[in-house]
Amino acid sequence: MTRQKKSLFVLMALLLMLVTILSACSKSGTVSKNNTSPSASGDGASSDAASKDPVTLRISEWGSPDEVAAYKVAIKKFEAKFPNVKVDLQHIATDYDTKLTTMVAGNDVPDIAMMESGTIAFPLAEQGKFYNLQEFMDSDPDISIDKLVPNIMYSLEPGNVIGIGPGPESFGLFYNEDIFKEAGISPPPAKASEAWTWDEFVDVAKQLTVDSKGRTAKDADFDPKNIKQYGVNASTWWGVYSNFIYSNGGDFISEDGKTFALNQPEAVEALQKVSDLMNVHHVSPSPVQAKNIPATNVALQTKKVAMAIDGQWASAALAQSKFNFNVGVLPVLKEPGTTIVAGMFSIFKSTKHPQESWELLKALLDPESSIDMITSGTWMPSYKNWYTDPALLAKWTENLDARPSAYKEAIIDVLLTKSHQTPTGYVKNFNKIMDIVNPALDKVWLGQQTAQEAMDSIAPKAQEQVQGRRDIAQ
Amino acid sequence: MRKGLFYGLLFTSPAILGFIIFTLGPMIASLVLSLTDYNVFKEQTSFIGFQNYSRMFSGEDELFFKSLGVTFYFVILRVPAVIILSFCIAMLLNMNVRGRAIFRTIIYLPSIVPAVASAMIWMWLLNPDLGLINSVLSWLHLPTSNWLYAENSVIPSVVLTTLWGIGSTVIIFLAGLSGISKQYYEAIDVDGGGWYSKLRHITIPMVTPTIFFNTIMTIIGSFQVFNEAYILTEGGPNNQSLFYVFYLWRTGFRDTEMGYASALAWILFIVIMFFTFIVFKTSKSWVHYEGGERT
Repeated sequence: MTRQKKSLFVLMALLLMLVTILSACSKSGTVSKNNTSPSASGDGASSDAASKDPVTLRISEWGSPDEVAAYKVAIKKFEAKFPNVKVDLQHIATDYDTKLTTMVAGNDVPDIAMMESGTIAFPLAEQGKFYNLQEFMDSDPDISIDKLVPNIMYSLEPGNVIGIGPGPESFGLFYNEDIFKEAGISPPPAKASEAWTWDEFVDVAKQLTVDSKGRTAKDADFDPKNIKQYGVNASTWWGVYSNFIYSNGGDFISEDGKTFALNQPEAVEALQKVSDLMNVHHVSPSPVQAKNIPATNVALQTKKVAMAIDGQWASAALAQSKFNFNVGVLPVLKEPGTTIVAGMFSIFKSTKHPQESWELLKALLDPESSIDMITSGTWMPSYKNWYTDPALLAKWTENLDARPSAYKEAIIDVLLTKSHQTPTGYVKNFNKIMDIVNPALDKVWLGQQTAQEAMDSIAPKAQEQVQGRRDIAQ
Repeated sequence: MRKGLFYGLLFTSPAILGFIIFTLGPMIASLVLSLTDYNVFKEQTSFIGFQNYSRMFSGEDELFFKSLGVTFYFVILRVPAVIILSFCIAMLLNMNVRGRAIFRTIIYLPSIVPAVASAMIWMWLLNPDLGLINSVLSWLHLPTSNWLYAENSVIPSVVLTTLWGIGSTVIIFLAGLSGISKQYYEAIDVDGGGWYSKLRHITIPMVTPTIFFNTIMTIIGSFQVFNEAYILTEGGPNNQSLFYVFYLWRTGFRDTEMGYASALAWILFIVIMFFTFIVFKTSKSWVHYEGGERT
């Protein structure tokens, strides 16, 4: 009797297992149907009003806990405005691209996704997986290109907008005010028109680079092997050195999109100058030494470095560190400027609710929703009037720890008038080109090769990967 | 009897089903996909025969040979290091000393530390300026190194970091060592041999099956090195640690060329099969099975 009972249990357990497996299969089967529904590019834009049926939108994103909190505020507001829509926020903290790729392969994609221009956003867009947001904008009075800050939109080609960034991020020269006061040196200028030339910048950096015996990089017996305080920290990330390439009139590829351009004189000069900071002037940590340099806020606070070239997002951590920091404009080679880097929100074509998705995307862009993030220093608003309307501008720039006195001039003015799009946004096949460039640059940063030698040596291979630009019609 | 078979299948069914669904199925799928231009994001996938394979061997894809070379170098350094070191540690742990259990636990402990955590620890230890290892070396007036951050030292450094997790290999060696009957050693004692004779004529021949097993498992594991490149080096500097599986992952998940990545995976499978086969073939001449005949 008991024996039979036991076998019955086992059978039931097996049955349960089977049911689970089968139900899992059938579920993925229904999801895959979404993909087959044909949706012409204009569909979403032309449908006028959002329907009143209950709708669930799925959005995937990565981000720090602060950012997730901001998304939640935006979603709450959005749900209050559209009571029939529920938003399912899917937070993917690590391996975002891998997981999204797997979701695409399994035909299980969200309606809206946060995307990074440097990774899988453009490969997805090239396969027509995203809506052209231009079409939504054309029929929406609330939002237009003119209302947004420059360079936060990503286009597959002119007129085909695949994503809009929730906020621009630009670069600045952050510094510890006390170090400058103690050394009696005037700090980096705030106005772009008064920006340091490269030589002035190097000279100041030398005065502020101090070895363990208190000698500066200007002294003859300076010991570059035992540096206590670096004048500046310039990382070897393209986000940082692109600022100087653009400032020097150079580019990653030529204006017509046909030629690899990092081996051209303007780009080579900029790369060489960054390398010289590490290997000739010894004022910035080399890639090896940089492993010891903590995050910008700690490095500046502990006087490990006097100045740091970093994105404005560093403001948030700097504000929390409670010391006298400020920000100046980047040194200028030929023209002042800054590269804008930003993530973007894109709407997948497979969504059944394009209009609602668009409304949600707008809600996510709304600076009011992410005001906590903006005042804390991590983000900047995406709407232009938040920069031009004094009342709105005051809201996020005045009397805040994260916004030091020179912030408006050094960051905002440059961003509005002299910004350049990130290379990931317009250089086609950027990753493959950089797969060739980066190993070669390793040698430049380590001082084993000149920028000219390194870039010339890989130019033919890099040229093979050049496929044009997205910002010009081809 | 039939009832026994039924229960046998029933209780092994999770493993068998798991193998079919999660291993065999994907393997067959990847073999088929390796003959296509499957790209996750593309609607259409077409059959392209052996083009993916010819792309590798024609030299069109330089990184294929580069990553294969890097991985071979790693395997050649790592396999002997792991086998010799874990054998020596197992010998020490096999001695009858006080607190043996504690030592055994300590040796095994790193194996259960998550790979990411131990990689981070090693990153700090190997830091050229502040790391403990260079600090100790310079304190002893010995030459220091840039470890993970220089082209010629990156692979040996990665090998060093992986030696930290040899606990399970040691455990298997220990099992092999404790299986050796005491009588053999007593015979040597009677004949007047020393520790070297014991090692040379008893211990090593008797653990050859364990050495054999560990060698194969270490070869297979070493070819599949991934975490280290993913966390420690990102393939740098100058692609000098672009391990094969890391490159495969990058091709599949960053460049979304799943078809080509599948082909890469199958080449790795064949490479591993080949080396395993070689070790198996040569094993006849050096592996000694107790009670078995040497051929």
